[in-house]
Amino acid sequence: MILALLKESVLFAWGALVANKLRTFLSLLGITIGIFAIITVFTIVDSLERNIRGSVQSLGDNVVYVMKWPWTFGPDYPWWKYMNRPVPAYKELAELQRKLKGADAMGFRIGARKTLKHLNNTVENGIVSGWSFGYGQVKTFDIAEGRYFREDEAEGGYNVAILGSTIAEGLFPNNEYPIGKTIKVAGRSCKVIGVFNKEGESMLGNSMDNQAVVPYNFARLFMDVKSENSDPFIAVKAREGVSNMQLKDELTGVMRSIRGLKPLADDNFALNETNLLSKNFDSLFDIVGIAGAIIGGFSILVGGFGIANIMFVSVRERTNLIGIQKSLGAKNYFILTQFLFEAVFLSLMGGIIGLLLIYLLTFLARGAIDMEITLTRSNIILGLTISVLIGIISGFIPAYGASQLDPVEAIRTN
Amino acid sequence: MAQVARPKTISVISVIAIVLILLAFPMLFMPSIKHMGDFVPMVLGIIITLQFVSVIGVWHMKRWGVILFIIMFTVRVVTFMYLDLMNFRFYFTVFYSLIFIAIFLRYIKRMDTNL
Repeated sequence: MILALLKESVLFAWGALVANKLRTFLSLLGITIGIFAIITVFTIVDSLERNIRGSVQSLGDNVVYVMKWPWTFGPDYPWWKYMNRPVPAYKELAELQRKLKGADAMGFRIGARKTLKHLNNTVENGIVSGWSFGYGQVKTFDIAEGRYFREDEAEGGYNVAILGSTIAEGLFPNNEYPIGKTIKVAGRSCKVIGVFNKEGESMLGNSMDNQAVVPYNFARLFMDVKSENSDPFIAVKAREGVSNMQLKDELTGVMRSIRGLKPLADDNFALNETNLLSKNFDSLFDIVGIAGAIIGGFSILVGGFGIANIMFVSVRERTNLIGIQKSLGAKNYFILTQFLFEAVFLSLMGGIIGLLLIYLLTFLARGAIDMEITLTRSNIILGLTISVLIGIISGFIPAYGASQLDPVEAIRTN
Repeated sequence: MAQVARPKTISVISVIAIVLILLAFPMLFMPSIKHMGDFVPMVLGIIITLQFVSVIGVWHMKRWGVILFIIMFTVRVVTFMYLDLMNFRFYFTVFYSLIFIAIFLRYIKRMDTNL
């Protein structure tokens, strides 16, 4: 019986909505815009967050970076303390390999922008990275074609290169097979032995797509390894069961002894972890999310007022009908559910249209920018939930008012 | 159907409660709430919506409004404790909700028992 009543209420509500198409469209527009605004903000924020977290993840959770500059931000950054520090050197890597007990793997990396050429094809300002062999065991990457360089190639400074997908496409257009071909890196001949999997754009700018990786001992022939411009650093991956904190403690002691620092002297190196980056981004995304929540929240409330207004008009228009229904035996809750369903339908349709618009937008965005923007399940659930709840909140007062009408007075109303 | 006259105190408290409940609505979109799980905003949203409905009941001097308000207050406290959302705002909400409940209970005998 309850189901039959519900069905009847739904049909009544649907009939009222179809009868006033323009009014229905205009009143659900408020919710459409509200849901569109708030879920678009969340979709963009979530996509950016996912991209940055993916980039940070590729740097490794259990990796500590020995660098000149610490990864801290803010207005009180004492840059003057750090600017005279020496940059990490390749010879320090050998010392660390000898002395460090808590490390599973470690590597050295330098990089600079150089020109890459193959016949008539040129890639200007491509990032050329010089890796020691061990860096390949620290950094996460996938090779689509070919292989990573061997230890003897790395140690001997062989002129071999692994290309990122964008660089490979630039140097070898028309699906030409790059493996085994010779390219010029900063004017030096170099044999291509591998191509990295396409990673897509990275917010941190560390995507492998725009990089060409060569052995460090080859890269140092055309890069200034003592210059800060080459951004040299040592990456150390913790052994299983060794926490980053323990590794940092050990690294601090070993690095201080390598650099011959006196007991009271400050460290002249920074030990950075990816969670430092994550923390900074977390607070940034929280601020953007809160701003989006406030703006979107109030725009949805305004949309809700629109629906409440239309529902009051709807009740006023059908007062006579409500009186007839009640005099024929309709219960209060039947009238209540009838109007409540109407409000929820309106709001839900508005929400669904808003979500569909966002879905279309993500398709357009995929073609325009090289970053994956997806409407996630959690945002769809949030959008639908908010639509239904706003429908209930905005429709309850008029619906309850209608259910409380006196049948005699309601019938008399013109 | 004769309407029960609404005391001024109930009118004032109901308006304040509605404003406070509507202001709590944007909380559903907060990143900290979203990160707790896909269905957490939905649960909190249902609680807020039913609290709103309960206040409308109180405004119309209906006994079910007070009962629903007390039930939703309890559910909200338990949910917030379970989700570990006990901050200053939570204690403030508990504080004013208890005052509201005390005032509602004072007038409950004068309220209508029908829907």
